[in-house]
Amino acid sequence: MDLSRLVQNAVCGGLAAAGFGVLFNVSFRGLTWCAASGALALALRTVALDGGWSMELASFVAALAVGAAVQLVPSRFPVSRNALHVVGCVPMIPGAFAAKAILGLFAISSQHPATNETFIAALDNALRVTLTTGALGAGVAIPSLLLRAQNDSR
Amino acid sequence: MILGPESLEAITILALEFGQLQMEAGASARHVDEMTTQVAVGLGAERVDLRVDYESLAITVGVGPDAVTRICRLGPFSVNETLHRALSDAAARIGQGGFNLTEARAELTHLRQSSPRHPDWFVAVAVGVACAAFGRLLGVDWAGVAPILIASAVGQMVRRQLALHHVNVFISATAVAFLGSTLCGLGARWAGSQTLATDIIAPVLLIVPGVPAFNAEYDILEGHPTIGGSRAIWVVVIVVFMTVGVWLAQGLLGVRR
Repeated sequence: MDLSRLVQNAVCGGLAAAGFGVLFNVSFRGLTWCAASGALALALRTVALDGGWSMELASFVAALAVGAAVQLVPSRFPVSRNALHVVGCVPMIPGAFAAKAILGLFAISSQHPATNETFIAALDNALRVTLTTGALGAGVAIPSLLLRAQNDSR
Repeated sequence: MILGPESLEAITILALEFGQLQMEAGASARHVDEMTTQVAVGLGAERVDLRVDYESLAITVGVGPDAVTRICRLGPFSVNETLHRALSDAAARIGQGGFNLTEARAELTHLRQSSPRHPDWFVAVAVGVACAAFGRLLGVDWAGVAPILIASAVGQMVRRQLALHHVNVFISATAVAFLGSTLCGLGARWAGSQTLATDIIAPVLLIVPGVPAFNAEYDILEGHPTIGGSRAIWVVVIVVFMTVGVWLAQGLLGVRR
């Protein structure tokens, strides 16, 4: 495993999460925890990707871990659980792939006839966006849904 | 507790206002449902039914055989964790009892007027740093980092001004993406970045609606497919308009993918 890449991704994930925490008006006291959440998510995803896992599976596992870790946070925390796991997973949202997918569709429409390479690249990006976004949402939601089901059954 | 029709109406309107503010602060449908129920039940209601739509909230609050139904239009959605948190705490306290209607109304008025926001310049710098970090995660070289930071900070300031002037959010997404990508492309080219095609995408990531995307999925998973589906469509349309801005910037700068 490339340790410098792991550290860089964790730091970038933390900075991105804290930056988006400011945009979402998280209090100053909560920003450190946002950064920790983002760093944890990106570190886990990097480890999984280095282990040969696909982007979708790595994102799902990282989101699941963040979603589970956030459930341990006490309710009197400076930032809500919901905000903490969303901000932590925001750096993993494949926004750049979404843009590339749509740009690819524009390219297909401007080529007559469209090449297979352009079409496959656009489709690949679109599938990646859909599956990764779904994996992130499911990973984050599963721990809280399970915990609520447990609480409701008591 | 015996409530007259006027009290029941006042409770209904107050619970609805709590829900309206929570929706506009970026809460999921379940949170809004739980919080309006806490407020109404804490003030003496026995039954609360809420319908959460993309444009409106409808609530029915009942005591014994009496019930009142009210509906309100929702304003533009944003994400405001501090307000969301303060509203949730207030609703929990009201739900535990000990508040009368006047006190609960005063609490809501206080929250409306006193919820702090970070200064605009600080938000712009933070967004710049976040997008630059995103850029590194996407693989941009170091020469591209400063242009991304500056372009996204400028983009955020313009986006804020457009929002204050009530410019349509989709038009705003295209304009901010075009501005951010163009500024970044010019700066990155001047700085000698070798990753120009990725550089110009990083500054627009501030527009990607992450919270609505997550909320859409939560809402569907938690049994609110109507609002979840509406949010998902909104997210897709924003991303399309954002990409049009990048596409225009690509054309202007002559950047090939």
